[in-house]
Amino acid sequence: MTLDVAAIAEELRRLAFETATGERHGWNALEEAVRHLDEANLEERLRTAKTSWLLARATHGYRGAWPRPTIADRYSVVATDGSLLTPDRHSPIRYYVINLGGVVLSYGEPSGARLGSHARFFASEDDLYLSDLSRRVPVSGAVLSFRRAVEELRHAVELVRSADPPVVALQDGTLILWGLESQPDFVANWALGPFLDALQALREAHVPVAGFISYPGSSDVMNALRVSVCDYPPQGRTVNCDHCRARIFTEGHQPACDILPDVPDRVLFEQVMRLEPGARSQVFASGSMILGRYPEDDRIQFFYLHTGTEVARVEVPAWVARDRAKLELVHAAIVDQCSRARGYPLALQEAHELAVIRAEERRAVEILVDRLLAEHGVVMRRSAKDRSKRGRYV
Amino acid sequence: MCDQSGTERLGEIIETSTVGFVAECDELHCLPPLGSLVRVRGAEGEVIYAVVTYGETGSIDPGRRVVRRGSADLRDQAIYQRNPELRHVLRSVFSAAAIAYRRGDRLSYLLPPLPPPLHFSVERVSLPEAQQVTDQPRYFAILAQYRGEIPADQLLAAHARYLFDVRQSDRDWLERAARELARIFKHDYDRLVPLLEALDPDLA
Repeated sequence: MTLDVAAIAEELRRLAFETATGERHGWNALEEAVRHLDEANLEERLRTAKTSWLLARATHGYRGAWPRPTIADRYSVVATDGSLLTPDRHSPIRYYVINLGGVVLSYGEPSGARLGSHARFFASEDDLYLSDLSRRVPVSGAVLSFRRAVEELRHAVELVRSADPPVVALQDGTLILWGLESQPDFVANWALGPFLDALQALREAHVPVAGFISYPGSSDVMNALRVSVCDYPPQGRTVNCDHCRARIFTEGHQPACDILPDVPDRVLFEQVMRLEPGARSQVFASGSMILGRYPEDDRIQFFYLHTGTEVARVEVPAWVARDRAKLELVHAAIVDQCSRARGYPLALQEAHELAVIRAEERRAVEILVDRLLAEHGVVMRRSAKDRSKRGRYV
Repeated sequence: MCDQSGTERLGEIIETSTVGFVAECDELHCLPPLGSLVRVRGAEGEVIYAVVTYGETGSIDPGRRVVRRGSADLRDQAIYQRNPELRHVLRSVFSAAAIAYRRGDRLSYLLPPLPPPLHFSVERVSLPEAQQVTDQPRYFAILAQYRGEIPADQLLAAHARYLFDVRQSDRDWLERAARELARIFKHDYDRLVPLLEALDPDLA
């Protein structure tokens, strides 16, 4: 063991203390900000605010909660998840594998279940590299994770066709491919095109899709609250975070929003808005830039939901959020699913179990590659660094 | 809970050896009874007969523990109705000990020369076939040597009980079985007596 835990324990103890007291700091200000929130005024501020944060725009107000709707006697849930064998830089052959797990659970009389996984192998030039006329981007890392998101959603489209209505499609994680904002256009188009096609296919099939985010770290609503307590508008100025922050250095300015604690939305909805178990918040529109490239009907909106064990974030396309019955179906189905699997949707849990590629399976594929190459007289030459990690010695 | 009476196949071999095999049932809970006779058709046309020695149902993934799903209001079969995925994340497996094999018309009460292949089907044995294979209980000696999850005596008793039912309470066969047990355990009175008592239909 080379990590000296004792050496960092004291620092960790100090950090834990600061985190705990830091969360309590500003709590009264937060309660006040919620209590005195002038929603019309906030809307006006948000319209002109210049901030670098993501801001939640309320579609039906910020306050208010919706209790768990009654779940239908019969419903189906489709969930898909994916796992990757990423390209191995140390291997002479380049490929990647996406293992997709898919689950269709039907409740009611009679109930039914279909569980399955299938591996997809990618090794063609077009699969491994993206290029425009001047650049060539390898499909790995973040770019590969977009491909996985696309394949997961496409698989859901395939599975909903055979599910008994009403159906809810669940995905693990966000439906907002915000990471594409930093990618070149040809990469963004490569991922976004098929992803949006899949969202459209679900919309046309009238199947609501929801992205479930457990223990979300997002702060879109908290950021909107910061705008609500900003002292620029009373001074006749519009909210402008860059200006405000620059003054910290030039004139020792203290931003008015610093009175609010640095907590994510889940803390706001659990401890200040006090969502009851099973209840959801209002629906909010996300301010994510990438959504500007989504068709209006499929632009992702979100709400927070108390699953019984935590406050999770649920993302749905705008057409689902507008349709009261579909929104209630998503709400009720997720609460029901969470009640079946200790706070996390059962269908997503099983889809993950089907998708996950275990260490011994990864090793089995490596051995197979070695053997197949050896059959053709190619002895696998790994990098010296890789060999040094595999054959450790003293 | 399990209605497979119309099908011949019970499941598929997932572990195999010269002395027996482990099979996973096609349907959850559809286990053959302890002591019952099953068969596997091998790759070269031979038929291997085996006696079921053990059965269990559990999680398909050893890393995932089975947890309670029911309550006072939700119990037994209703739990499966409410949790349809259970049929896919649980599995029933059984072990069987080989007792004989057949090549052509020749039936040998010996361990098979080769283990049955992995992934081959395990099937029920029809009543006439079971009666024929077990007519002479000479293979009891193989079962008496069984070392596994349950005591060999329990296995022998369960097997003999099963056959007595299959053979429609054939007392002549029961007498032959008792004589064979007496021959095997002639030096072990303490094992023989409880076994004979277990076989006696008048004591059951």
